Amino acid sequence: MLNMGNQNMKLKSLLLATFFAAGLSAAQAAEGELSIGTEGEYPPWSMADSAGNVTGFDADVGNLLCAKLEMKCNFVVQAFDGLIPALKAKRFDIIISGMSITAERKKQINFSAGYAELANMFVVKKDSDLAGIKDIETLLKSLDGRTVGVQAGTTHAHFMEKRASSAVLKTYDTLDQMQIDLASGRVEAAFADASALQDFLARPDGKEFQFVDVKVLSTVDPTLGEGIGVGIAQENTELKARIDKALCALVADGSIGKASQTWFKTDISRPCQ
Amino acid sequence: MNFELVLLAVPTLAKGFWLTAVLTLISVAIGFNLGLALAVMRLSKNKAFSSFAKGYSTVFRGTPLLVQLFLFYYGLGQLSFVRDNPVLWWIVGDGVHCAVMALALNTAAYTSEILRGGLMSIPGGLVEAAQACGMSRLLCFRRITFPLAIRQALPAYGNELVLVVKGTSLASTITVLEITGHAKRLMSQTYAILEVFAIAGVLYLLINLVLITLVRLLEAHLTRYLPR
Repeated sequence: MLNMGNQNMKLKSLLLATFFAAGLSAAQAAEGELSIGTEGEYPPWSMADSAGNVTGFDADVGNLLCAKLEMKCNFVVQAFDGLIPALKAKRFDIIISGMSITAERKKQINFSAGYAELANMFVVKKDSDLAGIKDIETLLKSLDGRTVGVQAGTTHAHFMEKRASSAVLKTYDTLDQMQIDLASGRVEAAFADASALQDFLARPDGKEFQFVDVKVLSTVDPTLGEGIGVGIAQENTELKARIDKALCALVADGSIGKASQTWFKTDISRPCQ
Repeated sequence: MNFELVLLAVPTLAKGFWLTAVLTLISVAIGFNLGLALAVMRLSKNKAFSSFAKGYSTVFRGTPLLVQLFLFYYGLGQLSFVRDNPVLWWIVGDGVHCAVMALALNTAAYTSEILRGGLMSIPGGLVEAAQACGMSRLLCFRRITFPLAIRQALPAYGNELVLVVKGTSLASTITVLEITGHAKRLMSQTYAILEVFAIAGVLYLLINLVLITLVRLLEAHLTRYLPR
């Protein structure tokens, strides 16, 4: 009886030890492992299945980066607006989630050099009077009083707040929710990455919609960033140097361009300066 | 704590304060009446009425409010007959209306259980005495049963009111800009999570303090003839 009790105690402490070890490795990231925060609900950038496997352009960039750094990738799925707080809380080492580099985000975290950049666009119903607009100034003026959907915490949301403040802005936790509301007519226009919206247009509920033929690039307004980079904690300067070097090499040898062709049918890789 | 951020956050969150109050007020007004009807149905001798009320309260108390909100807002919004019906779309199409509906239906389920407890606590002798005096069933309910039941149920109902106020924060997930909705937006603009959510918490506390005080005053008023 006594012996049994002892064994139980041992088992318990062993279990406890395992839990603590697991907790530590998640927090500190064991040597040789790179934990990557990604959204997991932003096709074709980052899609997580129910088993936690992540695919998409972000996953490809992550895996290429891990291979270059000779580390093991470990993806952590987290809602987009919680990625920066979670990185600061050391839930993971880096963010790869199609995150644009902006001045506001730079106050919070560090970024690698931009490795990709793509156009942002508006999607509206085909019969909307906004559909035929060709220049950005007319478009922003015409949005006055209209409901526009954006994803919460994105550069698109900041851009809309700054440049089209007279529009009624609806913010969504995920892009899927925004697209449901676009399809059901709760919002008149949606503003996001052209690539993500392309995905919506290809779906059955997107067939009544089209792009407004205005490519909104980061040259229009600095809120739209300096391209897309890997988010790194500010104090982690050594890791930043290694990631910058690896990314430059991956862009230069065409690996990132190739991944981009797979997911976007176009090369969005951005050569490092 | 950054004082400048506090100055920026307070007026923004105050805008959400009124919407939170309005959401609570309307959904409680609808939910109380619906809950009262359900409690009476539940205690009715009619099998169909009582089992409907029982099923309703099981379904709405047994599923999370967030799931109900998503079902009504995103789920119903995908059905074309809902979209083509102007009355249904008026309710489901707008985030605020949809939130009021979900909150009202949810609180009705809890209210019905609370009021049922109050109604069941009325001694049968009181009702019989009222009937012996010649009161109709409706008059007896209005003069005897309901006032006594509400006195019994008020402490538990005060608790439910506080839960409704806190439940309104879930409306932020369906694009409603109440306190939490504004707080989330401010968070992604400033990243000042501590300041923004501390103020949001204080605003909820303010609403609930007022509500709790009102319920206590009402309780004191209703029990003024009772010995202490």
